[in-house]
Amino acid sequence: MITKRENWIPYTFLAPALLTLLAFRLWPIVIGLSESLYSVSFVNAGARIFVGFENYLRLLTDRVFLQSLQVSLLFNLIVNPLQVLLALGLAFLVNQRVPGVGAFRSLYLIPIAISINVSALIWKLMLDENGLLNGLIRTWGGSPIAFLTSTEWALGSIIGIASWIGVPFWTLFLLAGLQGISPQIYEAAAIDGASGASRLRFITLPLLRRSIGFVLIADTISNFLLFTPVLLLTEGGPQLSTNLVMFEAYRRGLVYGDFGMSAAMVSLQLILIVSIVLAQFYLFRER
Amino acid sequence: MSSPIRSSISRSTSGFSLSSLWVYALLSAVSILIVAPLLWAVSSSFTPNDQVYRYVYPFSLKAFIPQTFTLSAYQTLFFEKGFGTAILNTSLLTIGTVLIGGLINLLAGFAFGVFDFRGKNLLFGIVLFTFMVPIEVTIIPQYIQMRDLGWINTWQGLLVPGLANSLVIFLFRQFFAEFPRDLLDAARVDGASWARILFSLVLPVSRPVLVGAGLVLFLSAWNAFFWPLVVAPRPEFRVIQVAISLSAQQVQTLFNEMFAGALIAALVPIVLLLPLQQYYVNSIAATGIKE
Repeated sequence: MITKRENWIPYTFLAPALLTLLAFRLWPIVIGLSESLYSVSFVNAGARIFVGFENYLRLLTDRVFLQSLQVSLLFNLIVNPLQVLLALGLAFLVNQRVPGVGAFRSLYLIPIAISINVSALIWKLMLDENGLLNGLIRTWGGSPIAFLTSTEWALGSIIGIASWIGVPFWTLFLLAGLQGISPQIYEAAAIDGASGASRLRFITLPLLRRSIGFVLIADTISNFLLFTPVLLLTEGGPQLSTNLVMFEAYRRGLVYGDFGMSAAMVSLQLILIVSIVLAQFYLFRER
Repeated sequence: MSSPIRSSISRSTSGFSLSSLWVYALLSAVSILIVAPLLWAVSSSFTPNDQVYRYVYPFSLKAFIPQTFTLSAYQTLFFEKGFGTAILNTSLLTIGTVLIGGLINLLAGFAFGVFDFRGKNLLFGIVLFTFMVPIEVTIIPQYIQMRDLGWINTWQGLLVPGLANSLVIFLFRQFFAEFPRDLLDAARVDGASWARILFSLVLPVSRPVLVGAGLVLFLSAWNAFFWPLVVAPRPEFRVIQVAISLSAQQVQTLFNEMFAGALIAALVPIVLLLPLQQYYVNSIAATGIKE
């Protein structure tokens, strides 16, 4: 493809974006994470002391952190498969050729346009004790549900809101993937007498592998980093039931000023995300 | 082509189809989930603040239609809270991000998707890695960096760090990796430069990924909140998401103003997004299947 004489070409294509990333993203990340090796001195207030891996060791016995890790794992175990499946279903649905489907497709694009903080605020008012949803439930004779303030419901509500925000966005990429599949392939399969289910299994899903892989990986990363809905709706509660690692790291660092522990949490979660993403890449590798 | 085969696949390009009744039932159910909260928000933005919760309990469909129509929330936002400036600033930043960011991420994604070179996996690993650390973690070192560069309260401070976007590079890479190698090789044999191959051979048939990438960049710039808040706090640099959050953080939340701000912020992306729907329809038509 490229000759020896042209070895430099890929690097010139990469340079503008990669140099920007290195300077403005990677460098601050390295500095920020190296903070996990330091602690604030109690004796000499404000002084930073190098403590090596002590923060990490402390995390292993930190009950609040361990619980947040548990919440994060549970949350991601549910929310990622759920969102990818819903997005896939929605992409199939709006790809059906029925009259008027275009209007629905437009409608479904709308949540994408709304920023996460605005979506979270709207849903806060929807799910509030006196909010719209409880108004509806009470009008129909039910007793109000503490969507955001009970341990039974809070994490589920966050999953619901994250999906309301996320699913339409990921649907767009899967729909693009679906539409990239040549209709001739389906025609050929139909001539061969393939049923709908086997067309789905042997044609659509394999040809969508790259799109699904992209969505699953990008969605997993975004959900591990989910922060705003927790901050605005539950602040990690009740009883830490929605206290995702990102929120605990924020609280430890920016609220209590313990930047060392905060950076250590983020580093540990980073190792976790990298392992999961590597596994996902392996799962969706070229065969 | 015999007609039974054609009709069995004409309704769906997904490889399977549902009966129309089911399709409409599902489409409507999803629509209610998506529209109800938004309709309530829109209606509330045109309602006096003390009446926002009036029809919530006992619930009445009047909650979705302003019963006392007023534009006061919008007037306050534009005449007293500087929403006009915020919209202008956000627009300029968004245009810059989509154009410059689109180009540099396109080049990088093309290189990752098409070329084989030393250090490829390491460099792509770095790209993904930067995507896994949120800005909340790096905000302090980034602020110090901006201060040392003298970029606090400047356009370059607002714009430049958001140009390279890992998600967009990843998206381009996934797309270009699937581009038929034979076509690229043929163009090479004909003596075309790589830049020419990218811009005149590859790009014209890359509309789906260009739209997706443009959208991600557009939304990242239009919805930016945390970074502008920190790097350019002066009012003349205020962006729309910061303006909304400032009006939501008042001592007594004015729900109608908050909803009005949200509506203004969402309006521009919605108006730009709706033609995308048309674009998807076109790409179906372009495949040659007609009903």
